[in-house]
This record gives sequence, C-alpha cells and structure tokens, in this order.
Amino acid sequence: MTIVGRAGAEARPPVALVTGASSGIGRATAEAFAAAGYRVAVNHRGSAAAAAALARTVGGRAYRADVADAGAVAAMVATVEGELGPIAVAVCNAGFYEEQPLAEVSDARWERMLRVHLGGCFHVARAVVPRMRARGEGSIVTVASELALVGGVGVAPYVAAKAAVIGLSRALARELAPLIRVNVVVPGPVDTPLLPDRDKTPAYARTVPLGRIGTPREIAAAIVHIAESRWTTGQVYSPNGGLVIQ
Amino acid sequence: MSVLLVTGAAGGLGRALVERFTADGWLVAASARRDGEFAADAGDSGAIATVVGRVVERFGRLDLVVANAAELRLAHVEQHPLEDWWAIVRTNLSGPFYLARAAAPHLAEAWGAIVFVSSEWGITGWPLASAYAASKAGLIGLTKALARELAPRVRVNAIAPGVIDSPQLSVDAAAAGIGLDEMKRRYAETAPLGRIATPAEIAATVAFLASPEAGYFTGQVLQPNGGTTMA
Repeated sequence: MTIVGRAGAEARPPVALVTGASSGIGRATAEAFAAAGYRVAVNHRGSAAAAAALARTVGGRAYRADVADAGAVAAMVATVEGELGPIAVAVCNAGFYEEQPLAEVSDARWERMLRVHLGGCFHVARAVVPRMRARGEGSIVTVASELALVGGVGVAPYVAAKAAVIGLSRALARELAPLIRVNVVVPGPVDTPLLPDRDKTPAYARTVPLGRIGTPREIAAAIVHIAESRWTTGQVYSPNGGLVIQ
Repeated sequence: MSVLLVTGAAGGLGRALVERFTADGWLVAASARRDGEFAADAGDSGAIATVVGRVVERFGRLDLVVANAAELRLAHVEQHPLEDWWAIVRTNLSGPFYLARAAAPHLAEAWGAIVFVSSEWGITGWPLASAYAASKAGLIGLTKALARELAPRVRVNAIAPGVIDSPQLSVDAAAAGIGLDEMKRRYAETAPLGRIATPAEIAATVAFLASPEAGYFTGQVLQPNGGTTMA
C-alpha cells in the first residue's frame, strides 16, 4: 500500500480528513483510510454519537463543523492539524439529497444545496491548500454524483451543485499542480441512507449493467485509490456499475 | 413574432446576440445590469422574476431565454475573498437558475427553449478561475437536469464557447500585465484553428439552438471553441 504523506523519521501516520463521515460513503471512507494506515478526522454536522463511535473504531477523532460555514471549516482544519498532525488527504464528501419540482424550489433550498456541496469543497480546499502548499504536497478528493453527468427530473439544484463540484475540482487541479492533486469520485447509486427507496429494489438493480447498486465500501476504495495515485490529477472516477458509460 | 429575453445584453456576446436575433426577426428583451426597461442584477432572484413578468406583460409571450450574464475574476483559491467568490457563483449559476425557474411556465406555453451560456473553462477547468469554472460547470449540470424535467415542451441546451473577442480580454490583459494584442495571440495559439472567436459566430450557435432546425437537441452542450477541447 502507498501512503500519501511525508516519510517522517518519527513514523507518524498521515492524516485523512473526511467530511460527512458519520454515515454512508463518508463512514466507509473513514474506515478505508484507517485500514490503509491513516489517522482519520471524522467530520460530522450533528451526529455526535455516531461520529464519536466511528472515531473510536478507526482510531481517529470526531470533529463537528457545518461544511457550508467557511469559518467553521477553517477552525476545524486548524484543530485537526493541531491534534492529529498535517492533513495529507482531504475528502470533501458531506452532502444531502432532495427532490423537488423546479417551480417549488425556494431560493433558500437552492442556496443551501450550493453552500453544502460546492461550498463544502471550496471551504475545505481554502483551508487546507495553504497548509499543503507550505508542506509541498497534498491530495484532495471531492465526491460528486453520476446525476451530475446525466441529469435527472426534480433534482436541478442537486445536479447543478454536483456538476459545479466537478468544475471546481478541475480548476483546482490545474491551479494547484504540481504540489497538490485534486480528483473527483462520481458514484452511481450506492446503498446509503441518501438513496431513495425506489432505487433499492430488485427491479431497479436490473437497470444497472452490473446488476446491483454499489456498496459504500466500493466507493471508499475508489476514493482511497485516487487519493494515493500520484500521477493522477483533475480526473473523474466513476464507480457506477456501468450505469453511465460515456 | 417570437420573443427572446437575454441577460448580460451589454457585454460582447450579449450585444451580438441582440443584433443577431433582431436581424432574424425576433422581439428582443435585452436585460443588462443598468439602464433600460428590463434592467436587473442577473443574480437577484426577485429582480429576475420581475423582468420575466414584465417581458410577458409587454410582448404577450416568451419563446426563448438566453442566460448570458456572467462575471469573471481571477484569484488563487485561498486568497479569493469569500464574498467575491460567492458573488461570481450567484451571477453565473444562481442567476440562470432563477431565470429558468421564472421563465419555465411561459416557455412551456410557447413550446420554447432555454440556452445557458457556459464556457470552455467549465469543461476543462482553469487556474485561478475556481469560482468561474465551478459555476460554468454547474450550468452544464443544470442544462441536463432541466432538459429532462422540462421535456418535451421546453428544450434546454448550453453552449461552452472558447475565448471570444470581447471587452473582457482587456481585463484579462491588464491582469496579466500584457497588451491586448499579446493577450489575443496567447489565447489564439491554444486553439487548433489559430484564432479566438468573434461574438457573431458564437451568437450564430445560439441562434441555431433556438431554431426549429435544432428541434431534436435537448440537454446538449455545443462547443464552438476552435478545437481546444475535443470531448
């Protein structure tokens, strides 16, 4: 296994920050980084008990912050680096999903969607980039969605926000090279609390070329892999069961 | 007569759009930040809804909206003032969403269309342009989502042009500390066709998407970019 981070004589494990880590893909990602030898900063917004339990399991620590709040994210990043050490990998995963017809989307819901998904990535990048730049290396992975590539009905804010995450990641990949790598993982339908129930049926599974929805562990594996792929930046990995082939 | 509402009408591409559609016989409601009957801050939800209402009141219908207003400022991601970063997203991404939401019922009535003006940089990314690239990429997502949601009555497409000969180039040149001609030369040499685009030829791409000839296009991104990207 490759470890992203400095080969320090003190052999301090590298640190991975995972936002939205109390459930679903984030939780599996925290576990996967721990298994790969990282200390994990488990970010959550309000699921303190779940985050604390996960942090105990993976030997990391839980940190509360709303990623939509730039100041809270900056403070969290400073605390993580003070307590666990330099962040080698930041995974911008926090998000939520909702469906609404266009006419019913309020300004506030639109704004919140952008602030959490796009802002969540921007705010984390803003906070970790100067630190990574000073250390001469770092890896950022953002999490978008296959819907960003193909659209969908009743999900315009979600799709726009996730597509913006892909654009942000590509811009940052160019801007921050060669020191910091930025990549995107674009999951298909995954068995998490965010997935609508109608997508958890056998009938839906038959529409996926590989015959089933994904597991959080499979997405986590892609995130760890791309985070550690040292000649990979500005790329989009799409573990999606073949649902989108383009 | 068909009715068009275009935002960012005072800019380089905006003026070309107004000229082209006027020449093609459209009634054009030209919205810019200042001046005129349809003036509005393109990122202001309430102002945009008011303008859409005014256009329909004045002309009785709405067949096409072109979301063209945009802001571009270059800065390192960690040095970009927060308010400034979000202001770009507001104009470039939230504004077009508000415009589409307000216009959709009228466009559906007219079996109309939406064209979002994205950018090559929304597809490729660009250094120091995180807010701009993110917002322009978001527009491409918005295009695909709304194309599905508003079908079959409203076709929704986007263009992602390369660099256009427009007043923005003087801003870019000043920021880079070089002359305008040198700025144009540098952009031109990134394109296989060896030049930057004229506003008129980009307006022509929008005119095509708006026309009956493009009646089977929806959810698509056309890329008049001189060959800079081929995907």
